[in-house]
Amino acid sequence: MSFFLSYLILSAIFAILALSTNLLVGLVGIFSVSQAAIFGVGAYIVAGLTMHSVMPFLPALVVAMAVCAVLNVLLALPSLRVAGDYFVVTSFGSQLVATALFINLVFLTGGASGLSGIPAPEILCWKAVLPWQIAILSIAALAFVSLMFWLMMRSPFGKLINAVRLDENAVRAAGKGVRSTKLVVAAISGTFAAIAGGLYGVHLSYIDPVSFDIHVSILILAMMVFGGARTLAGSILGPLVLLALPQLLNLIQLPSTSIGPVRQLIYGLLLVLFMLFRPQGLLGKKI
Amino acid sequence: MAGFLLQLLADGLVTGIGIGLVAISFTLYYATTGTFHVAHAGLYTLGAYMAWWLTTMSVPFALACIAAAAICLLAGLLVQVLVYDRLDRTDASPLAKLIASLGVLYVLQNLVAILFSPDLLQFPTAWRGGVIQLGEVYLSYAQLVVAGSGLVIFAALMAFTRLTMAGTRIRAVASNPFLAEITQLRPHRVYLMVMAIASAIVAVAGAAIGFDQAIQPYTGILVLLVATIAVIAGGIGSITGAFVISIFLSVLQNATLVVLPGRWSIALTFALFIAFIVIRPRGLFAHR
Repeated sequence: MSFFLSYLILSAIFAILALSTNLLVGLVGIFSVSQAAIFGVGAYIVAGLTMHSVMPFLPALVVAMAVCAVLNVLLALPSLRVAGDYFVVTSFGSQLVATALFINLVFLTGGASGLSGIPAPEILCWKAVLPWQIAILSIAALAFVSLMFWLMMRSPFGKLINAVRLDENAVRAAGKGVRSTKLVVAAISGTFAAIAGGLYGVHLSYIDPVSFDIHVSILILAMMVFGGARTLAGSILGPLVLLALPQLLNLIQLPSTSIGPVRQLIYGLLLVLFMLFRPQGLLGKKI
Repeated sequence: MAGFLLQLLADGLVTGIGIGLVAISFTLYYATTGTFHVAHAGLYTLGAYMAWWLTTMSVPFALACIAAAAICLLAGLLVQVLVYDRLDRTDASPLAKLIASLGVLYVLQNLVAILFSPDLLQFPTAWRGGVIQLGEVYLSYAQLVVAGSGLVIFAALMAFTRLTMAGTRIRAVASNPFLAEITQLRPHRVYLMVMAIASAIVAVAGAAIGFDQAIQPYTGILVLLVATIAVIAGGIGSITGAFVISIFLSVLQNATLVVLPGRWSIALTFALFIAFIVIRPRGLFAHR
C-alpha cells in the first residue's frame, strides 16, 4: 500500500515537473535540459529553511517559488539573445553547473551525501506525516498547478503564448512583447518546479545531488514527450506510465548494475521513437 | 613551482588537442547540416568503448582505433539515415530533431554501460604509461598519442576542406543548402559524407582521450559541452577557430587549477561562455 502511495506521490511530483517543462519546451519552444536544476534548488531551499526551523513549510515553499522563478528567468535570458542552438549549450551548461554546486556547496546542501531528516510539512495546524497525507498534499498541489496551467491556456495570455511560438514577428507587429511573454512563461515554469522540489524533499525526507542531475532532466523531458506537448492530460499521463516502467523492469531479472542504464536506454529510445513516429506524443500536439 | 605550472599547461595543451578533435568534427557537421547533433557525444563514447574492447582482446591500439572509427562511421550513417533524414522528410522542427538527437545520445551511452560497465575503465595496453621528458615537463606515451593524432587529423581535415573537390562541395552546401539543391550538388549526399567524416574523427578522439585518461559512459556530454563552447566562440564553421579555442579553454582550465579547485572548472568555462555570447555572439573567427 505504501508502495502504491509512493508511486502516486512521485507521479504527482513529476507531473508538476512535466507541466513546468511543457511550458518552456512545448509552449514557447525553449529547449531545456535544466529543469532538474530548478527542481533541485526548490527542494534544497524548502529543506534548508524547514530543517533549521527558519520558517514552516508553506512560507518556505513561497520563498522557493520566488527564487526559482527568478532563476528560471535568468537561465532563459540567453535564449532571447542567442539563436536556439546556442541555448542548447547554455541549458546543458546550467544543469552541469547546478549539479557541481549541489555537490560542492557542502555547507548549504550537505554535499554528495545530501540532506536528511527533512521535517514533515506543517500547513496551518495540519501536519502531513503519514504517506497518505503527503499523497493528498501532492495531489492537491498537482490539482492547483493543473488549474493554473488550464486557466493560463484558456486566457488571452495563453493565445499570446501560442502566437509567440508560431510567429514571433506577427506578435511584434501586433504590438505585443515577445521577450516579456517568454520571460513570464519561464517564471511560471520556475514556480512549478519549485513546488515539485518542495514536495519531493518532504516526501522522501532526504535529498541528494543525484536526484537533480541531468538524467532527471532527461526523464522529465521524456515524460513530456511521451504524453505530448501542450496538453495537460499528456503531462499527467507521461509520469504515470514512465514511473511504472522500473516496476515492470523488476519482472525481468537484470543484474543490479544494469537496471539504471536499461531504464535510461528505454527513455532514450522513447525520445527517438516518439520524435520519429509520433511527435505529438500520446495525447498532445506536434512539437 | 614553475615546473608544476609548466606541467599543468602541457597537460592542458594535450587534453585541448583531444577536445579540439571533438570540436572540429562537430563544427564540420553542424555548419554543413544545421543540425545540432548532440548524439555526437554518444559516438565519442561508442568510439572509446569499441577501441577499449578491441584492445582487451589484444588488438594493437592503433588498429583498434581504426576499427573503432569504422564502427562509429557506420553508426553515424545509421543515425543520419534512420533519424535525421527521416525527420527532414517529415518536416520536423529543430526542437524535435534536437530531442531525437538527445535520445540517440542516451541510447548509445547506456548501451555501452550495459554491454561493458557503468564504471571507470582503463585501457590494458602496457606501453601507454611510458614517459618522455622535455625539459621540466613529462609527457606519457598516451598523451603523445592524443597530441599526435589530434594534430595530424586537424591538418588532414583542413587540407581536405580547402584543397579537395569534396571539401568545396561541403563548404558550398554549408553556405547555402537551398542553392546547393537547385545546382544539383545533392546536399543529402554531402550530409552523409560529413556525418561519416565527423563520426570517424570523434571516434578517434574518444579512443585517444580514453587511452590517456580513462573511459566512462556518461562523460561524453561534458566533453561535447566544452567542444561546442569552443565551436561557438571560434565562430560556427571555422575549423581553425574551434581547434584553437578548444586548446585555449583546456589550458585555461588547467592554469586555474593553481588558484581554484578542479571541481569548479566546469563552472568557470561555462561562465566564460555566457560572458562571451553576450559580448560577441558571432565568435572570434567568424567570417560570415
